[in-house]
Amino acid sequence: MQNRSLSFWLFLTPVILGLGIVVVIPFFYGLFYSFTDWNGITATAFIGFENYINLFQESEFVDSIWFTVKFALITVILLNVMGLGLALLVTRNIKSSSLLRTVFFMPNLIGGLILGFIWQFIFISVFGDIAGITGIEGFDGWLSTTNTGFWGLVILTAWQMAGYIMIIYIAYLENIPKELIEAAKIDGASSFQRFKNITFPLVAPAFTVSMFLTLSMAFKIYDQNLSLTNGGPFNSTQMVAMEIVRTAFSDNDMAYAQAKAVIFFLIVAVIALTQVYYNKKREVEM
Amino acid sequence: MKKNKLYSGFATAVLASTVALAGCSFGSDSSGDSGSSDSASGDQTTVDVFQFKVEFKDQFEELVSMYEEENPDVNINVKTVGGGNDYGASLKTSFSSGEEPDIFNVGGPTDVDEYEQYLADLSDTEAAGAALEGTLTGVSRDDQVLGLPFNQEGYGMLYNKEVFEEAGINAEEITTFDAFEEALKTLDSKKDELGIEAPIAFAAKEKWVLGNHLSNAYLADEFNHSVTEAYEADTVEFKMGDQMKRFTDLQKEYSVQPVLSLDYSQQVEENFSLGKVAMIQQGNWVYNTVESMDEEFAQNNVGILPIPVEGYEGSIPVGVPNYWVVNKESEDEVVQASKDFLDWMYTSEEGKKFVTEEFKFIPAYEGYEDLEIADPISQQIYEYASEGNTLGWVFLGAPTGWTEDAMGVAMQEYIAGDITWEEVEQRATEAWEKARQ
Repeated sequence: MQNRSLSFWLFLTPVILGLGIVVVIPFFYGLFYSFTDWNGITATAFIGFENYINLFQESEFVDSIWFTVKFALITVILLNVMGLGLALLVTRNIKSSSLLRTVFFMPNLIGGLILGFIWQFIFISVFGDIAGITGIEGFDGWLSTTNTGFWGLVILTAWQMAGYIMIIYIAYLENIPKELIEAAKIDGASSFQRFKNITFPLVAPAFTVSMFLTLSMAFKIYDQNLSLTNGGPFNSTQMVAMEIVRTAFSDNDMAYAQAKAVIFFLIVAVIALTQVYYNKKREVEM
Repeated sequence: MKKNKLYSGFATAVLASTVALAGCSFGSDSSGDSGSSDSASGDQTTVDVFQFKVEFKDQFEELVSMYEEENPDVNINVKTVGGGNDYGASLKTSFSSGEEPDIFNVGGPTDVDEYEQYLADLSDTEAAGAALEGTLTGVSRDDQVLGLPFNQEGYGMLYNKEVFEEAGINAEEITTFDAFEEALKTLDSKKDELGIEAPIAFAAKEKWVLGNHLSNAYLADEFNHSVTEAYEADTVEFKMGDQMKRFTDLQKEYSVQPVLSLDYSQQVEENFSLGKVAMIQQGNWVYNTVESMDEEFAQNNVGILPIPVEGYEGSIPVGVPNYWVVNKESEDEVVQASKDFLDWMYTSEEGKKFVTEEFKFIPAYEGYEDLEIADPISQQIYEYASEGNTLGWVFLGAPTGWTEDAMGVAMQEYIAGDITWEEVEQRATEAWEKARQ
């Protein structure tokens, strides 16, 4: 990074320009608007921190934050366990492993909106039929209560993203030197010991990447939420992103929604950066 | 560890962008130029129309090219962005980016207030003079008429005539609560013979079905059927709250279950069009959907019943969902051309024919007496309207977001059994008062 020549800046300019125009400038604009009473057309007054004070008193916003936090916690754990599990499965010497990789990855190729509608059909119609045939009540009335809505979202997200996370783990798993495992085998380590003491520490960098990806994704989820439950019933399965969009576009409170978005940004940034920092410290350099 | 910093910096930037963009992302289905003329030459007036009704986009564009042929000096560009929220958002975007349309749509008094500085007075147009009584109240300010109604829409309990006949129910007698309940009981007891799953499909997942339509039937009286009165009201009292509760309870009890995950498309397509239920609470807008599922059924077998409201037996809620408005910041000749076009659409012979036959609108204007309305549901609603058996659409005058996010949400919680009806009223009233402080 020493010789920052002209060409260095030349190559960088398009990116910096792009990032500046679509990210940095709008971000500061947004920050500015969050201190006004902007309604999307005109801002008439500078109202300081009023929006920020109000939003913490609004139960709906706070509820949506808690809902999102709960959702993020569960999906991050589930996704990483499933991703690693699937990766371990397909890196074994089984015949169909490349077919399986494709199949596991496939859900990720379908857009979130469509996926939401597919799962909505499964949860409502298919589950309803299963309940009708077997008489198991647990299959009845999915997505019509807060709890089933929550688990519906978790299942949908896990199904969609697990294959993606699997790919990341596969990359790291296949990079583990065979000698290490062989040496451990010769020393008489059991397969669990090998996993715990060799595989696990060596895929730690993959945790950093996957946890960061899953965490930020779980927080920002919107399209799946929109098509699966649309916040229902009674706005109780509404994630923060959706709450913000609703405040902005259906309640028409642009500045207020902007203030919520700033808070949302701060929360996600703090969580993600802390987590990256800690995971980096734990990584084993190879 | 420079790399790390770069990484986290990048991460922050990505996050920032997502949040920033979350606020202004919208999916737009826009179609560009529709006209025959390609570019505006010197002596041509170009009018940009920005409209929201996706359902009639093709027909509207056809009408526009007809107009352009007749008036070669006018060039009209149509842009359509569909569906409730998206339209409002994109309209805002075009205003804040300076690409203001010359003709656009507003929903009611709240929108009018928001865009008031841009709205031209249309009281000198022929269409404004021909507009049916009461259809302009929501968009009138002082002596000015700021919008022209799109059409009229109405809703009630749509029913399957065949099922009713088989069950031996005379639909004309169902005007009161007791008769309505009786009919539900009959349908319910005979549902195996009739081949239906339940008497009703109650789309309680859709907050607008509850908060806009259901509640409106019982709030209209309180606000004298006037959008303006609702718009100016400081509070809502739920004078007919008991009836609202009873109607909600009935629909819930006799519906296919679970109601809270039943959405509009399941209600209309799966359940009603396929004959799995006998009744749904919807309006004339479902016609095209039902027709695409079963043409024969849509044309001959769908009737509309009034919603039972004491004191208003045999009336259905009819209102104007949207208005055309003209941007007065545009140049004078563009404003004039816009007015001429709207006038032509609603008052000329070709226009009128198109409005009823192709748009399948229930006209909100006089002078359509000898024209036939294309679909039977609209026809029946038009009959109710011309006999004066209507309730107003006051929900358009409620505070922004109130109908869905206060009323609709509270009703959903009531349906889920989490709160009592008193709490529904209390919450809705509080939200209304807070918004109107």
